[in-house]
Amino acid sequence: MKKSYRAISIVASVAMVATALLAGTSAADAATKVLTISSDLPLQGSSFDSNDSTNKAIALYLKQIHYKAGKYTVKFKIYDDATAAKGSWDDAKCAANAQAHVANKSEVAVMGTYNSGCAKIEIPILNQAPGGAMTMVSDANTNPGLTKSWNPGEPDKYYPTGARNYARVCTTDDVQGSAAAQFAKSIGVKSVYVLNDTQTYGQGVAQAFTTEAVKQGLTVLSSGAYGEGWDAKQSDYTALFTKIKALNPDMIYVGGIFDNNGGQLTKDKVAVLGDNTKVKFMAPDGFTGYPEFNSMPEADGAYLSFAGLSSDLLAKIDPKGAGANFVKAYKKEYKKDPVGSYPVYGVAAVQVILAAIAKSDGTRKGVTNAIFSGSGITIPAKTSVLGKALTISTLSGDTLAKDVTIEIVKGGQETTLKAQTVK
Amino acid sequence: MSILKRSKSATKAGAHATSQRKWAIGFLIAAVLIWVFYTYVMVHLPDGIQTVVQNWFPPTSLNEALVWVICALGLNIVVGYAGLLDLGFVAFWAIGGYSAGWFMSAFFTQVNFRVFTTAAKALPGIHISFWGVIFIGGLICAFFGIIIGAPTLRLKSDYLALVTLGFGEIIPQVFTNGSNIGGFNLTNGTQGISPVDNIGVPGKSLGPFDFSWKFFIFVFLTAFMVFISLRLRTGRLGRAWLAIREDELAASMMGVPLMRTKLSAYAVGAFSGGIGGVAFATHVNGVFADRFNFSISIILLAMVVLGGMGNVWGVMVGALLIAWINSTGLPAFGDLVNNTFHTTINFPSYNFLLFGGVLVLMMLFKREGLIPESRLKAILHESDDTSTNVGGSH
Repeated sequence: MKKSYRAISIVASVAMVATALLAGTSAADAATKVLTISSDLPLQGSSFDSNDSTNKAIALYLKQIHYKAGKYTVKFKIYDDATAAKGSWDDAKCAANAQAHVANKSEVAVMGTYNSGCAKIEIPILNQAPGGAMTMVSDANTNPGLTKSWNPGEPDKYYPTGARNYARVCTTDDVQGSAAAQFAKSIGVKSVYVLNDTQTYGQGVAQAFTTEAVKQGLTVLSSGAYGEGWDAKQSDYTALFTKIKALNPDMIYVGGIFDNNGGQLTKDKVAVLGDNTKVKFMAPDGFTGYPEFNSMPEADGAYLSFAGLSSDLLAKIDPKGAGANFVKAYKKEYKKDPVGSYPVYGVAAVQVILAAIAKSDGTRKGVTNAIFSGSGITIPAKTSVLGKALTISTLSGDTLAKDVTIEIVKGGQETTLKAQTVK
Repeated sequence: MSILKRSKSATKAGAHATSQRKWAIGFLIAAVLIWVFYTYVMVHLPDGIQTVVQNWFPPTSLNEALVWVICALGLNIVVGYAGLLDLGFVAFWAIGGYSAGWFMSAFFTQVNFRVFTTAAKALPGIHISFWGVIFIGGLICAFFGIIIGAPTLRLKSDYLALVTLGFGEIIPQVFTNGSNIGGFNLTNGTQGISPVDNIGVPGKSLGPFDFSWKFFIFVFLTAFMVFISLRLRTGRLGRAWLAIREDELAASMMGVPLMRTKLSAYAVGAFSGGIGGVAFATHVNGVFADRFNFSISIILLAMVVLGGMGNVWGVMVGALLIAWINSTGLPAFGDLVNNTFHTTINFPSYNFLLFGGVLVLMMLFKREGLIPESRLKAILHESDDTSTNVGGSH
């Protein structure tokens, strides 16, 4: 009996604390023309550095344009879709964030997410927002199924209302995989063994690579649509590479992310098959932006691809362009370079959102319509931080650019080799 | 002393019958108050206050916390009642989640099977009503609970913990790598299964914004687990669990069938994990293999230990508190501090430091948890009030 009273009193005291907290605050944000845009990125665990840099880049960009989009003033709010308990994106947190975006009345559009899995949760919720779908523009989701037909039911199952509300400024895994295969052919590779980290992203890239490699006439020595999976929890891959050695491939293509024990994989590859000039080693952007990888002696000579144009390529293409200038401004403001290439893409996504806001009536629906109907959104080359015109397809929400950067690791640094535009 | 204790608990059992009606009323009042607040009061509050509520107590995190409560109550039966240390409870959450993925989505495109579903007619796949899947998920988990229980019957303490730990590691791995089992895609690997069907209630299909409905459904499921926990505890089975927890040898000498009793603890606990898993899948509208890692098992265990092992209310408070800190409390507090003092401290990253510190302090000063079970408290403090150490304290 006593216990039940105690339970009630606890509930009551929690409620009292809650009301006390409520009473202590005053109404704010009453101004009408202030619109909020937000970022929704994982800010815990290994991708923190890159995403923190993205938030910093967006904050800097908004400051540069004096927080103006057309006749509206724009405010920036940061959401974290990771929990410390998980150390990476968290499905429940993604769902909660999507609800919070919708509940926050002044919020009109979201820049995010970083992980495609998180996008799969958030897009349908934003899609069904009462009063009109809310748009999300991602800087980093490379999973093709979010916007084009890929697995059964995709992409329609993410858009319950039937209307699109999701765009992205990076190219997709299939484009990146294809570009890598075309590049492999161009450097004289004849046979290749494909590995994947068994995850969504890794398999997607590996599948696209395999398909294109076959089309290009390369011999794919691994079996299956996306090659052989490597187990991230394994401590040693010597046996795997010994098996591969017997097949004598010219190149190992590794579809996956560095976090999945990519360091050990790289070490064992070099130990068994020899350095990366002998048997070439290529990985997608899941291996870019990791100083730990670049500084490994075994990584020297490894080829990497990036779904878009890397920051240093921006400077190379047009040293006086908007992209190069922005990277310079970032360095001046924060005393270091943006981490990896996604921060610039984050700003590009924000540019799309701001252009849509400028074109809209200041409502969520207006912003969504600006992107997905009529002439859509094009950021001209002069202002685009990506160094070239950025056009979002009004049908799929994908960027029309199919640029992939090929990099090579040299002396502990990712060095841009060339831009590979997918034919 | 033990006779004295037993007679005391016998009179208590009589009082329980009335107190159980009381808790139901108290629980209902609390639930209705929260519901009224979010549904009717909140919309009339000024925008500023609404923002604060959204930041500190968003309705989604409330629903999520209830899922944690359901799972923690299940673990409480295994750990708190029967005293079997379980470090792999996440396996049941995962199995429950995938039950929802299999039976409530368009995942199995090769078949078309529907029972009282809210899903659109054109959609292929297995679509069973949420209310059915709750039980299917629970039963599948109970079955796996028995499977994991069976080999552990001969094991005690550390060894038992290791086997459950292994189970908790194996199951998520199966889900992660289950995209190609002899050519059959069972789990869709790390891509997960999404979206799952909406929950159907009479005349309505609950979309992502029907919190209050979902809140009531989750509250109902929690109440169901509380009811099961409380009723079982006072019953024959519950007393047998407690007997095993306190002294397995003595219990078996007194005629408690060890095998059946332990297995039923696993089965009931797992059933609850299954319910939680299904509820969670509908909460996030999908199931993703990434989620089911070891830390979930540990957090659940921390909820049980911190709240008060064996005490349903303690576990509930522990689970609500930790779930809230993990999802909203610490980030919101971090924002508040960072905005006030213009700092950039990443508060959520100190989460485990905080948990660890609190757990160490709790073990030093309040081993029995926030709201202790009277019986456990008596055992833990046995050496305090008698000059002779009976050796019952752990």
